[in-house]
Amino acid sequence: MDKVGIVGYNQVKCYSDANYGRYEMIFEAVRGAIDNAGLKKKDITTVISATNDYYDGRTISNCFTVEVGGGYMADESKVEMDGAHAMLYGLMRILSGNHKLAVIWGGSMPSCYPYHSARLYETDPTWERPNAYVNDITSSGFQMRAYMEKYGLSKEDIAKVAVKNKKNAAKNPLALEESQNPNISISDVLEAEIYADPVTELMVAPPCDSVAAVLLAPERQAVKITDKPVWITGVGWNQETYYLGERDLSQSTSMEHAAKAAYDMAGISNPRNDLDVAELFEVCAHEELIFTEALGLVEKGKGPQLNTEINGDFPINPSGGALGGNPPCATGLIRIIEAVKQIRGEAGQYQVGDVKRAVASGQIGMCAQNNILYVLEGEN
Amino acid sequence: MSEKIIEKNKGLVKADFGFWVGLYMDKFYDTFEQKKIIGNKCQECGAVFVPPRNICGICNIKLPLDQNWIDVSDEGILINYTRTAYKVTDRRARKAKKLNDIGMVQLEGSDTAIVYPLIDFKEDDLKTGMKVKVKWKDNPTGGPSDIEGFIKG
Repeated sequence: MDKVGIVGYNQVKCYSDANYGRYEMIFEAVRGAIDNAGLKKKDITTVISATNDYYDGRTISNCFTVEVGGGYMADESKVEMDGAHAMLYGLMRILSGNHKLAVIWGGSMPSCYPYHSARLYETDPTWERPNAYVNDITSSGFQMRAYMEKYGLSKEDIAKVAVKNKKNAAKNPLALEESQNPNISISDVLEAEIYADPVTELMVAPPCDSVAAVLLAPERQAVKITDKPVWITGVGWNQETYYLGERDLSQSTSMEHAAKAAYDMAGISNPRNDLDVAELFEVCAHEELIFTEALGLVEKGKGPQLNTEINGDFPINPSGGALGGNPPCATGLIRIIEAVKQIRGEAGQYQVGDVKRAVASGQIGMCAQNNILYVLEGEN
Repeated sequence: MSEKIIEKNKGLVKADFGFWVGLYMDKFYDTFEQKKIIGNKCQECGAVFVPPRNICGICNIKLPLDQNWIDVSDEGILINYTRTAYKVTDRRARKAKKLNDIGMVQLEGSDTAIVYPLIDFKEDDLKTGMKVKVKWKDNPTGGPSDIEGFIKG
């Protein structure tokens, strides 16, 4: 694959009820990324966004975001998935050889709508939707139980992930304020309100308002724009069947396949040694452990045994991950931005030593039906 | 400064969907009227699907409409469950009066699991692997809510 570099990024802080109209928020994210990179509107040749018509409350929701997303009189398109999938589309546009600068942005404002109810609209309208027993939360309850029972794990094993991520989020100024808790304990997590047993409120990535943007450029332009480009050296994505009743929810087969494809492309044979940090989109605390295993960082069922703190054996989600704030359609893109910050040494209080190579993931669907994984590397 | 919130155009447009369930699900729901459950079997891998599918996703082949229908028991095994304090349709406002138990059940003779409420279980009763059976509505009409849920088998 030709070299494609991430040459800029910007994220609006996560808010539970942002004091913005949504177009102001998109403009701030995209214009900020362009300004930070020292670029101008005329440099943008293609814009790919990630939004969702249900979350935006209108059809063809990108028709209103053309100007604020920098897409006026540019080649523009939309991906109705995670922001990490929009970056895949942007990557392909750059690889086509026809573009010099791609803007990728994604985001939403769930303060305007009941997010978990909107997730019901993902279910089969001829079978599951009329009775409304399945949404992102109840399916996460199934997923956590399947994982715990398969490997004999405890609720405490899962709660530890929530504690780590909320403590990490306290060091991340862009995380959701309500998720930043340096003093949280395992019992706080276990005693929080039941969402869908065994999942409690504090194990769930909280939907919030935010928009994120990333800039991509081919090698020739990338090295002119910045002296710290971050290269996309591997990408893999994969999808499982829709029906929960056909899947083994104790593992993430699609993430295993996505990781194999991304690792093969990047020449990674031993992920635990070859990678320095991972930023993963976990909808619930237990999902981070399932992904850790799918990425080959530990054996299946051993996720809780790996020390994934910022100074641990293999840091995962030093930014706080999605548990630090989950703005729909932006969350995967934010994971990519956080991995870029780690590689460029720009992660401030949650910087993980010297990072040469990182992975970042996005996902979409019930129990992470579809996963996408990027391998990102610095100049060396 | 007041917070001005515009709600969507209430009453101006009504565009509800009427999904036709398709030939396979039509046949499936018809049998609900007799309080019976059927699935269909992939002619290649042998998997039995409940509800029926028009294709096998793994083999990527069409399953014939007129063949390989299998009578499935209305008893099965609880393979997973969750207890939730909310109504799935509105987590913000509508908290349920009591915890709802929702289960994934694999009916005997089927290779897939379906999701329905678990009726009249106490928390300590619930165990994956236990036997459960369908509680039918008194007067089924051929739709997904003919199955009220699952009770102890």
